[in-house]
Amino acid sequence: MSDDAELLERIRGGATDDFAEIVRRHQTRVFAILHRYERDAHKVEDLAQETFVKAWRALGQFDGRAPFEHWLSRIAARVALDHLRKEKRRQNEIGLPELGDDVLDWLRSDDEKNELDARGAAELLELAMRELSPADRVVITMQELEGRSVKEIAGAMGASGVAVRVRAMRARAKLRRALEKIAKEKL
Amino acid sequence: MNDRKLKQLFASARKATAPTPPADFAADVLRMIRHEPPAAPATISIFDQLNLWFPRLALAASAVIVLCLAADWGLAAVGVPSLSDGVSQLSAQWLLTPTGL
Repeated sequence: MSDDAELLERIRGGATDDFAEIVRRHQTRVFAILHRYERDAHKVEDLAQETFVKAWRALGQFDGRAPFEHWLSRIAARVALDHLRKEKRRQNEIGLPELGDDVLDWLRSDDEKNELDARGAAELLELAMRELSPADRVVITMQELEGRSVKEIAGAMGASGVAVRVRAMRARAKLRRALEKIAKEKL
Repeated sequence: MNDRKLKQLFASARKATAPTPPADFAADVLRMIRHEPPAAPATISIFDQLNLWFPRLALAASAVIVLCLAADWGLAAVGVPSLSDGVSQLSAQWLLTPTGL
């Protein structure tokens, strides 16, 4: 089985069908990245398609200095950012999602042992992150949920490391305030 | 919302499972890209463009200098005063007079 570099070389040489192998290798990761920003599975699939099509279009710009996976992750992050910007515009048209009882219990509780399940946590974060700008949301998601370094985030966002640090700090504070607001409204 | 609770929230959200790509996802992507133009070549940065242009600019500048020297030599040969003659005249008339510098 050839590595990504060999496959990409063949694709650049005209073997378009080999791009399907690239998609198969990286699709799970791309779906995982995009699912952090969009919870609807059909929309995630559309965004994943958009990511791979954009990667195909920009293949000539991939210089191989970083692993292909990192380069593709950056494209996925930018696709997510564009998606969030579009969603932000029509955010007021759609209603707020209802939180489950388990989430409300967790918000009420001060018990450290009371843990929230993954679905409930994702629902609550989704609701709180609506208070953030799309760029703030991408920075917080990449840092806290994907565990990316400041350098990686800066690369994906086209910003400096300092700008990312400042944005992350402010975004975390905004997120905390949003969660407090939800706790007050829902309890 | 304290730090501990925020960290707990992130830790739980990290465990959320993403949807599985459909079996024919790669084939769908391939169908889409078949309608796309071939991959574009890498875009050249401004520095790369300058690097490409620099040897040509240097050559053009050298050619202009050679042409000027040839023209000066040629004009001097047919009796037209050269640029340096003009400069000598100027300095003699203006700069080296008692009222000059």
